[in-house]
Amino acid sequence: MRPLEPRTESIYNKSIAITALVGILASVLLAFKEGAFSPMPLYGSLIFIVVMFIGHFLTNQLFPEQDPALFILCCFISQLGLIMLYRINPESAQRQLIWFGIGFVLYFVSSFLSKNWINKNIGSLIFFMATAGLLASPLIFGVELYGSKSWLDFNFFSFQPSELAKITFSLFLAESLSNCKIEKPLVFFGEIAVILGLLALAKDLGGAMLFYFTALTIVFAATSRWDIMGLGLIGAAVAGVLGYQFFGHVRVRAKAWLNPWEDVPGKGYQIVQSLFAMAEGGFFGTGLGLGRPDYIPAVTTDFIFSAFFEEFGFLGASALIVVYFLLVYRGIKISLAIENNFLCLAALSLTVFFGIQIFTIIGGVIKLIPMTGVTLPFMSYGGSSMVMSFISLGILNGIKMRAADGETNE
Amino acid sequence: MFELLSRTLRYVFILLIYYFLYNFLKIMVADLRREKSQPKETGFILQDEDGNSFTLYEINTIGRAEDADIVIDDPFISSKHALIFKRGSKLLIQDLHSTNGTYLNNKKVTRPLRLKENDEITMGAKKFRFLRGEAVGATDGIDLQ
Repeated sequence: MRPLEPRTESIYNKSIAITALVGILASVLLAFKEGAFSPMPLYGSLIFIVVMFIGHFLTNQLFPEQDPALFILCCFISQLGLIMLYRINPESAQRQLIWFGIGFVLYFVSSFLSKNWINKNIGSLIFFMATAGLLASPLIFGVELYGSKSWLDFNFFSFQPSELAKITFSLFLAESLSNCKIEKPLVFFGEIAVILGLLALAKDLGGAMLFYFTALTIVFAATSRWDIMGLGLIGAAVAGVLGYQFFGHVRVRAKAWLNPWEDVPGKGYQIVQSLFAMAEGGFFGTGLGLGRPDYIPAVTTDFIFSAFFEEFGFLGASALIVVYFLLVYRGIKISLAIENNFLCLAALSLTVFFGIQIFTIIGGVIKLIPMTGVTLPFMSYGGSSMVMSFISLGILNGIKMRAADGETNE
Repeated sequence: MFELLSRTLRYVFILLIYYFLYNFLKIMVADLRREKSQPKETGFILQDEDGNSFTLYEINTIGRAEDADIVIDDPFISSKHALIFKRGSKLLIQDLHSTNGTYLNNKKVTRPLRLKENDEITMGAKKFRFLRGEAVGATDGIDLQ
């Protein structure tokens, strides 16, 4: 494998520099927000830049065959997310910065591990057990937060096991389908039903939707069977109707989506505030620090995109969507580059998780689809989401390196 | 003061974000171009009676002309004699209005026909066999060319 071409390398360096520049400008601006100069955002931004530069050059030195774009893209998104957090709530931004650091270390570790250790013969049953165990743990030990029982509460932080389950579920799908056909259909669909059932029990319906559509996409990618795809889509429609009938909060969300203006101070409040924020933003935004994100509920997690939209405008927000799109594009490119079925499907399903999650949450806040509480990867405040997104990108990166080594099915 | 600064800087931010995007799109375009310029092997080869083999890519022109992908020096072969190309997962052969015609298993090729393993292709006075790449030593033909 040839090393990076000098031109590509200079583009990557330039992109890193732009990311750093955006961070510094924004943090200097935010430092003046309260009138007097308060250097906290500036320190945060400097720490971020140091971690980013070290990360970029260290991973390039140690893994010359890696895909540097993954790390740069996620740094760029995290940078924008951190700016928004410093603007909304500096304390959560500082915690997010720590999560970013931890995420980077784990990105590094998971790149290394997936480059060297993922071996094909682990068996899909173990991945299934791991997924099911992770999803069942909050039902037994967990606490209820934001309407769904999917959190494990340790004293100093709370952790969402379904984030980690996304990775094990991806590996489970890839392992089960690595011969490009469904070997034991009853067992396979039974296992998927168990996983979806556990998510529904935790009332994490956004999560259940993510897992369902990822499974459907991967089954279709592996087997190219239109009948399963068709049945799956019909199944999704039926599940939607059943969910509407039996889960109260699904009905609330669907009604708020169809007509949020019916009950503005109540059910439609979130979505209406999000729409107001976006309308306020216009093309160029209000300018950083001049919007009113304090009006939007859950603004650091679910609705961070609306806050970003308000202050960076339609142009900034659509550019952010394109950056996410580029991340997904790199993932699909990696999965096409590798000849090993298991790794190809694993890379694809990690990417599909990203893609569907981004679509669900951005679609939700702009009222394209009903709102579901999933996080916006790398941008929303939240440790589990940040760390797990980094780990799954690390796995993608490891798969990329194996593709460069010419790994095949043998 | 802060308001003025922020109002001005928002244009700078948008410019920077789009400059970042522009850089990445440049990389993407370069990637796609590179993929296009590297022809992909299909895993199949053509083998003539003397044992020379020719690797088949996704599009191959066969003929006497120097710029054909597979050059065969034979007086009965036209300068651009036939085309073997990939459609979906299949390889097809098409005659390019050659003087002496192309024959697949002794039948004249008048429209694009699908190639199967061990098919015999006759062009001019030469006979070729359509084989899977692994069936013969993979480097055979390269030494001879």
